[in-house]
Amino acid sequence: MTQPVSIIMIEDDEGHARLIERNIRRSGVNNEIITFATGTDAMKHLFGADGSGLVQKGNALLILLDLNLPDMTGIDILRQIKENKYLKASPVVVLTTTDDSQEIKRCYELGCNVYITKPVNYENFANAIRQLGLFFSVIQVPPAAP
Amino acid sequence: MTAESQRRRAFWQILLFSAGLLVLTVISAGSVYLVNKARDDSKWVVHTIEVENQINALLLEIRRAESGARGYLLTQGAGFKVDHEKAVAAIVPSLDRLTRLIGDNPAQRESIEKLSAAIETRLGQFAQEMDFIRQGEPEKATALVREIASTDATAAIGKVATGMIEEEERLFRLRTANSDRSQSLAASMTGIGSGLVVLLALISIWLVRRSAMARDEAEARLRDANVNLEAIVDERTADLREANNEIQRFAYIVSHDLRSPLVNIMGFTSELEELGGDIFRRIGGLTHAAAGGPPPAAGEIALEGPDQQLSADFSEALGFIKSSIAKMDRLISAILNLTREGRREFQPEKIDTRELIEAIVSTLAHQAVEAQAEIQVAPLPNLVSDRLALEQIFSNLIDNAIKYLRPGVPGEIRIGGRTKLGYAIFAISDNGRGIDAKDHQRIFDLFRRAGTQDKPGQGIGLAHVRALVRRLGGTMSVSSELNAGSTFTITLPITWNASNRNADQ
Repeated sequence: MTQPVSIIMIEDDEGHARLIERNIRRSGVNNEIITFATGTDAMKHLFGADGSGLVQKGNALLILLDLNLPDMTGIDILRQIKENKYLKASPVVVLTTTDDSQEIKRCYELGCNVYITKPVNYENFANAIRQLGLFFSVIQVPPAAP
Repeated sequence: MTAESQRRRAFWQILLFSAGLLVLTVISAGSVYLVNKARDDSKWVVHTIEVENQINALLLEIRRAESGARGYLLTQGAGFKVDHEKAVAAIVPSLDRLTRLIGDNPAQRESIEKLSAAIETRLGQFAQEMDFIRQGEPEKATALVREIASTDATAAIGKVATGMIEEEERLFRLRTANSDRSQSLAASMTGIGSGLVVLLALISIWLVRRSAMARDEAEARLRDANVNLEAIVDERTADLREANNEIQRFAYIVSHDLRSPLVNIMGFTSELEELGGDIFRRIGGLTHAAAGGPPPAAGEIALEGPDQQLSADFSEALGFIKSSIAKMDRLISAILNLTREGRREFQPEKIDTRELIEAIVSTLAHQAVEAQAEIQVAPLPNLVSDRLALEQIFSNLIDNAIKYLRPGVPGEIRIGGRTKLGYAIFAISDNGRGIDAKDHQRIFDLFRRAGTQDKPGQGIGLAHVRALVRRLGGTMSVSSELNAGSTFTITLPITWNASNRNADQ
């Protein structure tokens, strides 16, 4: 059976989180969205109390990640996700305000699947998110490693 | 060591040297003088002895003549006569010699006159004696001899001669003492002088050693100071680099973090705009329904009266918010770009400057034609530098020149260059509207512009250009007058390498 995909959104800015969620919903994606405002909370959810990631075994996840978090950097979270055997198959979409080419390159090197810059221009922003919704609807999110 | 003490030391050394020289000269002159004096004194001593000898010799000759005469008188022997005649012949020359010798002494001269008179008398008596003997009257001669013995001529000769000898002996003692004194004076003078010279030499050696030591010390201090200075420079450079990096990071973080809330503001303003649209559509629908009209087709709701005014005010407010946000976003982007530019690594390469500028001019050809501007590019020195940075510098300046021409006046833009002492100097001049002197500094500041604000722009270009020029190890300046055109001058090192300006890395 195919398990419904959960969208994990790690975003410290509530406003951004709300805008992203709205636009995802507008693009017709109705999957569960779980939002975390801090890296620590997100890590606890993803990797479990023991930090092994076993809790997410068999779950299909899609992770939306902001790089600037108050307690840790998104890059660290990305690296740990891609190094964990239960989580590394989950697609990670990096969503951030930075369009620094160095940082984008670094994210792709670490295994990020999509990198989206949050533009101030709202039209562009909404379009990007809606396209992401489209992306969600077509990609086959694999369940985490059994 | 201060200049004052150095001067003092040099003065002392010169003084010592002069003193040494003076002492040597005095010793030499004194020695020469004293030696001459000693020689003179000795000569006088010898002279005295000679005079004495001569007196004795004279007396001896007289005695010989006397004894010869007496012998002849007693024996009539020819041998005595010959003896007597020889002695008499020697007396006068001997007396003459004595007279010459004592010519210097007036007292002796007086004595010699007396002596000469006595001797003459005596010689006359001798002649008389000899005559009596020759005529064969020895009795007369004997009587004469007896008579003579009682006369004072002989006694006078003895007395005067003794006086003269005494006088000469006195002179001898005096002159010997003189001579001794001169000699001991010369000896002591030489001794003291030598001692003085040795003392001066010792003082000189001590002074020289002291100044050598002071110099060594100063050299050591200088070396230390140099080492210190280098350390301080390194430290300051590191500090500056750190501060610069700090500013870069700060600008990056600030502009980046400013953007985040801006996304929200823009996002929710857009949401609000949509909501507003929905609300006013709803109001329109309700108004229509209340009026009993047919339900309106979606999308074309006509508001009336105050409602329409409300909707317009609402849209206007949101419009201002959005345009402000867009402006703020552009400013933040500009800061981000500047800080990014500040962190970009330069890649020096050989650049044909004229080719580079002509490429820029051709991309700006359209604007130039629109502004009726003619761009002249003179031969330019080539550089080894960062291509992208140079492109940005020149395209900004040429773009500005085209942008700020005087309306109605055909533009003339000239780009020239020359080299000087390892630097290439470029000048971009125009006949445009110019810049007021009070704004010459301001135009290089970020977000600051000058003159009539009739052209779009953020006030970033020149700030950016100046930052680039500085990073390339150059300087830039402007000379301009209002309504008389502007000339921007850029000085860049002909060969840029990372060491020229690696503080930003």
